[in-house]
Amino acid sequence: MAEITEVSKQKGVSLSDRQKDIIQKFAALGSLFVLIAVFSLTSSAFFTLNNGMTIALQVTSIALLGIGATCVIITGGIDLSVGSVLALSGVVAALAVKDFGMPVWLGMIAGILTGTICGFINGMLVTKMRLPPFIATLGMMLIARGVALQITGARAVSGLGESFGELGNGSFLRVVNIGDDGFPTVVFPGIPYPVILMVVIAIAVSLMLNRSVLGRHIYAVGSNPDAARLSGVNVTRIVSFTYVLSGTLAGLTGCVLMSRLVTAQPNEGVMYELDAIASAVIGGTSLIGGVGTISGTAIGAFVIGILRNGLNMNGVSAFTQQIIIGLVILVTVWIDQLRNRR
Amino acid sequence: MESRPAEPRQSAHRPAMTAGPALSASGEPLLRLDNISKEFPGVRALSNVHFDLRRGEVHAVCGENGAGKSTLMKIISGVYQPSAGTIIYKGAERHFSSTRDSEAAGIAIIHQELNLVPHLSVAENIYLAREPRLGFMGRGFLVDRKKLRADAKRCLDRLGVDIDPGRPVRGLSVAQCQMVEIAKSLSLDAEVLIMDEPTSSLTEQETRLLFKVIRDLKASGVGIVYISHRLDEMAEIVDRVTVLRDGRYISTDDFADTTVDAIVSKMVGRSLDEKFPDRTSTPSDEIVLSAEGLSRAGTFRDVSFTLRRGEILGFAGLMGAGRTEVARAIFGADPLDAGTVTLHGRTLSITSPRDAIAAGIAYLSEDRKAQGLAIKMPVDANMTLANMEDVSNRFGLIDFAKQAKAANDYVNLLNIRTPSIKQPVRLLSGGNQQKIIIGKWLFRKSKVLFFDEPTRGIDVGAKLSIYRIMDALAAEGIGVVLISSELPEILGMTDRVAVFHQGRITGVLETKKTTQEEIMRYASGYARSAG
Repeated sequence: MAEITEVSKQKGVSLSDRQKDIIQKFAALGSLFVLIAVFSLTSSAFFTLNNGMTIALQVTSIALLGIGATCVIITGGIDLSVGSVLALSGVVAALAVKDFGMPVWLGMIAGILTGTICGFINGMLVTKMRLPPFIATLGMMLIARGVALQITGARAVSGLGESFGELGNGSFLRVVNIGDDGFPTVVFPGIPYPVILMVVIAIAVSLMLNRSVLGRHIYAVGSNPDAARLSGVNVTRIVSFTYVLSGTLAGLTGCVLMSRLVTAQPNEGVMYELDAIASAVIGGTSLIGGVGTISGTAIGAFVIGILRNGLNMNGVSAFTQQIIIGLVILVTVWIDQLRNRR
Repeated sequence: MESRPAEPRQSAHRPAMTAGPALSASGEPLLRLDNISKEFPGVRALSNVHFDLRRGEVHAVCGENGAGKSTLMKIISGVYQPSAGTIIYKGAERHFSSTRDSEAAGIAIIHQELNLVPHLSVAENIYLAREPRLGFMGRGFLVDRKKLRADAKRCLDRLGVDIDPGRPVRGLSVAQCQMVEIAKSLSLDAEVLIMDEPTSSLTEQETRLLFKVIRDLKASGVGIVYISHRLDEMAEIVDRVTVLRDGRYISTDDFADTTVDAIVSKMVGRSLDEKFPDRTSTPSDEIVLSAEGLSRAGTFRDVSFTLRRGEILGFAGLMGAGRTEVARAIFGADPLDAGTVTLHGRTLSITSPRDAIAAGIAYLSEDRKAQGLAIKMPVDANMTLANMEDVSNRFGLIDFAKQAKAANDYVNLLNIRTPSIKQPVRLLSGGNQQKIIIGKWLFRKSKVLFFDEPTRGIDVGAKLSIYRIMDALAAEGIGVVLISSELPEILGMTDRVAVFHQGRITGVLETKKTTQEEIMRYASGYARSAG
């Protein structure tokens, strides 16, 4: 009796949380389909395989950062440093190849590890020095950007050689026919490596969150850090881990981005952290902590990516795009609030 | 606000003792609710409930959790609007659409979870959003700090409590916060005061003071609606009692004409002969846990005790005497400065709850929601949180079948009422939440359990089942420590009781040979034996 009363008070209807979860997913997914339908009608070039791959490629950076952001936010934290960290990581990878003559794969690993180290420092600042996550990662945001500009003299690092571009520009299963006239025709553009990377990592982190003890602990810490600690969860380690994961993914994103441009830009990735947080939030992750899924974040990332792409194709200015994306964030979170309030 | 002029204050004195129907001899009651029903989609929370309140009386509302008490209070205070029925306040039918509405009419509610802003001062809290202002006709932008303090002081003085209005609220005890809340309602000129579980976190002494204040309020004509699980205390202040069960009105009686047992049997719908189960376990000589010379600067000093196999050891004492602090330190939640803890003959070195849990010590926090449960997570996740090793493989992946089995096993064993193991625990009642925490520690195969106020805010039926579980644990050889502010609970359940006073154990008493009075003497520092 008590339970039933409580349930109905909070939700109004007797849906289980799982059912509501699915409805929420379909709502986000539904709006994604609506976007696709609208843009397909307004622009003939939108609904094509090539453009699909372009969107997927564009979404990778938001999605990879968003996956890290989701884990951090589930624990009740926030990571503002990822935009700067990805720039630093990409620059480190490029310099390692160009100035230190490292092979490309080793340079990339150095870049990714740079991200890991930045994330580790964030984790220490938050757990050991007990700085609020907002402040700790704000500091890291400024420092990482500063270091990236400093070591490059604020200049782009170019002349990296073709192999540096392989990760960002290569694709899997690309089929090209050489026609009788000698011109190549692309039968299948292939799946870009970054897209494969994004899918693999999304699945891996999703499994980690849903199926592993580590994931369970991440949710528990976000739901109630005191209860988690008193249940024997190593809260410090869990929280640190999420920042390390976020930093590492930022490092990876940096390498992928710079590889795509075959140039390392110390100014790359400004405000990307906000896109990452936005994709998590659109996907239903709660900034209070304890709630969030990777599938939601992936949908959120695609909503942002498709909006940008589709609006571009329709000739909507970049300024208007910002306004629209801003509104989308406000409306989705508002709907989420309504749902929770009932 | 077109309320009729108040009736003469003379009606404040205790009306003639008439059992049953609502109308008193002194005419129309201050507040009357007739045939109140409240439906939420799919559920009827209240059906045809009657309630009336006279000036200058304390009217208790009793019922188990989920009986509809809080829904009724929310209707009186305007949080909810009734689906059917009428509210007559001071002779006129009223519809309160918000708490602001009811407050303006003179109805104030003091919630169990107190609603004060910790960083503001006592005075600022009392007049929050109603600050007296400087400037012409008191309409300026600046707060009139002198008047604020003076007005607040007057309210506090009227209660006869000595709290500096300039102090920030965060440093106050729970009891003091409660006094501030009462002062706030006085400043609103409340004529109806609803108190939800006011004594649940007060010590005996503080409860005395609260009752004195309540008597004074009565004498000045305030009608008080009093909700409490502590029926034993009611005799001191309560005039009438209304019982609700499953959202239905059961009865209203003069307290003098009824008994606690009769009230309880009406609440549960059956007669409840026992408040405490018969103990089946008997202490042996084998020592499970012993603590030697535990100290922590500023909280407790030189605390030593032993816990035997099959024994339930009580920790009694006033709030802040160090009972909870000692348990938390043994559990590794707070650091220990000195002393040793020995479990089954092995000296432990514990620096975190992880160490303690690994050694087999569990602590059930007094604050379930804040420290015991991940309330957004479902039953199964909470149940297995302290022992993920047993429901996961060596790669750290959860075995969902094992998890479901563990959760179902303990749901059945502890008779937890939940629609499914996937139900988020925040939607369960207090008693069931407590059982989930117990289940969590049983699944961890703990050897010693510290229960800190395990029955606080839990209804009578659930209390008994928690007592039974404690007894069964002791019988199985698990060491049980019961920390409680309720002396009857200590006397009813423990074999021995360690009494704390100002961070020291002043005596360890055989429960069978002691009395409430003796425990109180040790707790207040008048008596002292062991060191």
